[in-house]
Amino acid sequence: MIEATGIERMFHAHGAFTGARVVRALRGVDFTLPEGGAVSFIGESGCGKTTLGRILAGLETFDGGTLRVDGVDVSGLSKRKRSGVFRGIQMIHQDPYSVLNPTRTVATTLAAPLKSVARRTDVAERSRELLTLVGLDPESVLPKYPHQLSGGQRQRVVIARALTVDPRVLIADEAVSMIDVSMRLGILSLLRDLRERLGISLIFITHDVATARYLGEGGELHVIYRGEVIERGPVETVIQSPVHPYTQCLLSAVPVLKGIEAPGPDRLVPRATLDAAADTPGCLFEPRCPFATEQCRHEHPSLGAQRIDGEDGSAGTQHACFHPAVRNVAAVDLHPV
Amino acid sequence: MSRSTWRVLTRRPGRVVGLGILLFFALLAVFGPSIYSGPLAIDPNDIYGSPSAQHWLGTDFAGSDIFRELVLGARYVLETAALSALFTVVIGTGVGLLAGYHRGATDSVLMRITDFVLTIPGLPLLIVLSTVWSFGRPLEMATALGVTGWGGVARAVRSQTLSLRERGFLEAARGLGLSSRHVIVRELLPNLAPFVAMNMLLAVIAFIGAEVALFFLGVVPFSSSNWGVMLNQAVFSGGAMDSSAALSYLLSPLVCILLITFGIVLFLDAVDELFNPRLRERT
Amino acid sequence: MTDTAAKSTDTAVPAQAHAEVAVRDLTICFRVADRGELPAVSHANLTLAPGRITGLVGESGSGKSTLALSLLGAVPPPGRITGGSVTISGVGDVAALRGEKLRAMRGGQVGYVFQASQNSLNPLKTVGKQLLDLGRAHDVDDLRGLVRRARELCELMGMDGARVLDSHQHELSGGMRQRVGIVFALVLNARVLVLDEPTTALDMLSQAAVLDIIAKVHEEIGLTTLIVTHDMGVVSELADNLAVMYGGRIVEFGPAEELLRSPSHPYTKALINATARVTGDITRAQPLPGRPPDLASIPGEGCVFRDRCAFVMEVCATVEPALAPSAGRADRSRACHAEVETVTAS
Repeated sequence: MIEATGIERMFHAHGAFTGARVVRALRGVDFTLPEGGAVSFIGESGCGKTTLGRILAGLETFDGGTLRVDGVDVSGLSKRKRSGVFRGIQMIHQDPYSVLNPTRTVATTLAAPLKSVARRTDVAERSRELLTLVGLDPESVLPKYPHQLSGGQRQRVVIARALTVDPRVLIADEAVSMIDVSMRLGILSLLRDLRERLGISLIFITHDVATARYLGEGGELHVIYRGEVIERGPVETVIQSPVHPYTQCLLSAVPVLKGIEAPGPDRLVPRATLDAAADTPGCLFEPRCPFATEQCRHEHPSLGAQRIDGEDGSAGTQHACFHPAVRNVAAVDLHPV
Repeated sequence: MSRSTWRVLTRRPGRVVGLGILLFFALLAVFGPSIYSGPLAIDPNDIYGSPSAQHWLGTDFAGSDIFRELVLGARYVLETAALSALFTVVIGTGVGLLAGYHRGATDSVLMRITDFVLTIPGLPLLIVLSTVWSFGRPLEMATALGVTGWGGVARAVRSQTLSLRERGFLEAARGLGLSSRHVIVRELLPNLAPFVAMNMLLAVIAFIGAEVALFFLGVVPFSSSNWGVMLNQAVFSGGAMDSSAALSYLLSPLVCILLITFGIVLFLDAVDELFNPRLRERT
Repeated sequence: MTDTAAKSTDTAVPAQAHAEVAVRDLTICFRVADRGELPAVSHANLTLAPGRITGLVGESGSGKSTLALSLLGAVPPPGRITGGSVTISGVGDVAALRGEKLRAMRGGQVGYVFQASQNSLNPLKTVGKQLLDLGRAHDVDDLRGLVRRARELCELMGMDGARVLDSHQHELSGGMRQRVGIVFALVLNARVLVLDEPTTALDMLSQAAVLDIIAKVHEEIGLTTLIVTHDMGVVSELADNLAVMYGGRIVEFGPAEELLRSPSHPYTKALINATARVTGDITRAQPLPGRPPDLASIPGEGCVFRDRCAFVMEVCATVEPALAPSAGRADRSRACHAEVETVTAS
């Protein structure tokens, strides 16, 4: 459905003292999103995942590689056709408040795309349908302005609005980060439902690994570091048996619920983050990696299904590391059911 | 009037006072000339008379009743100011919106035109124009004032548009496939509304000042009921600066102008809340 | 615990015993149009054990930030304290302080790290200059000593002190700015430290680093600490004691680990079940139905949580449960009509 090959993106920055600099936000990202699938990208701030999301939603251009949507290469399309294609890929942002017009009620916000884009005649009914679909009570929500709704409700309105144009893909960029922890599961279940009931594919971008688990069956997790994917595979496999040291650091950083969970036996103590270093010919993670060797300094590992400790890697997983090793860093449930 | 609009207007007494003043003068301008129809009576025996029961504000240089003159003159002044403000704001907002939204070449061209208009010295130009064009009707004067005065509004609206552009909801609207026209009119404009409305009201004050100044300077055809002309007569013919005889003649139009300005300023307070639903909820 | 006077230099205040903070029957009301004064915090009872970290957990609108601000005597108008007291040992009732004494207490006795303190630095001045402003505002005689103390704290947190003091806020990363916020809160040798949502808007690694630092600082200096957050995970890593807040009331209190293992209040239990986790069965996680009340929709009588409670009974509609010791222990309390066994069993 969406096929991205070798996506690259560079920004030109001018530091006051360092002169012109090229920041490589994405260094050749490949992935495939099947129909009705769910692919999650995790990484720290600045790793390029938001840029990737924006490129996939058509909000930003890219400098290298190809992007095919339903088999069609988007670079060759006219502006109008491109708008049409990207209309089927809707973005759900982190801050629901900023993407809703504060001077318009929910009713007007939903009516506009229903009337002008989807060209529906049953605008009022469809608005009600969509609001119910996202778990809101139409009667109480339709006349309200965005500032009169809670964060969770606003995010649901944003999702309802995205659904007005019948998208095939939803890109959720930190969609639950600004919502109270207690309400997050509600939004995540909603996304999962949309996937199961309407067959909408999901691209889920987050820094919170745990949330990636709740998107339904068959989800894939891709770990991004400084613009490249360094590990990927089925969500549960990557969380339980991570192989790349960076993934292991990320998972080690997840807080452990004392009394319910115990820290994973191989839990790494996270290292202090260094400021972004210059590009090196070797592995980008090497300066911060607890297991780096000389080889890592000089050679750049590429993404593949290398053998680990003499055994084949878990089915479907790939990683970019010269010394991969399974380490059980994720917290352990003290009272498994 | 909806409940929330009523509440916004009555929340602070100043707003009601302001609205009251404006309504009073609006009614005066609309109905005044019908009530006081007919030519102004001249009374050579009572020149620059003091206020009395017969002439509430006294009489002018020809013995005509000042109060009547004020009422008759209100229409021209207010109509001109309102129309000028309307032209200025409509042209300025249109230019600013288009420039800010489309950026690039459109922006450059529109802004160069705006710069040109901004550099035109308003009042001197109008004085020069008045030698070839008699601004007899409000529409004529309003056109002259409006066409030369929209520069500032255009610049301000453009910068507002540029900053609103960065807001996520515009990008979302485009992503949904809504047209540029929709985005400008339905998404941007409502957010600019309080700014535009305030500018319009402030422009009215400025234009009243500008036209009265023009009439005071005597560069437009004489019409005794015109407020600016009344000031002109009071100072230059009635010696209002030296003696107190024509004091009432001088003060009457001045006080009216002051009152209108005051009314607008008081009412301005309500404008932001009227257009911005978010502000209405607060205590 | 280390003697802070020995560590710092002439900015020192005498070495202090650990401060205990006692919030008793505290009510803070806000004026709402057409509705009069509504309580954002209602009859709250909370004790911060000296030298320990207490976590205060609740959703948005639960009143937790308002409660935390009352420790600083900084409840924003139109809110005001209408009842109860906030007593810090050695200072007295904060709610009764005014003027100079209040100003001296802020920063001097209570260090407060604001929510999103990454954004609370002046973008036009270097960090060092702002530090000196702080010192002067508190009449610190030895500014050099203050700077030295700040640099020590920076080193403690893994930052290059000299470099940080010379930087402007845009030259530092989000995580570093958060740490600078903590440095500012500690540099005047406060005896109580309050952190309001210290890790919101930070990614996992930065969050872990900040939590690590808070733990390290606590080990070194041992201040009485209050951490306000909506994230159970954050609180779980650090807190000794945990207080859960809902609709302006403290609904449960006790040792953190115990509370997490066997919560005895329906809300605490529901909150834990609603947290996304990397372990455990994903089908067991349940989102909380409904949404948290805001100031205007908090029920006036009866239990504030009853509309979302899985154990609701008839009495909950009319009688508000009081916060009472549970299981016969002084260090655990809950405010609920249902029996402890009923809640912990299911």
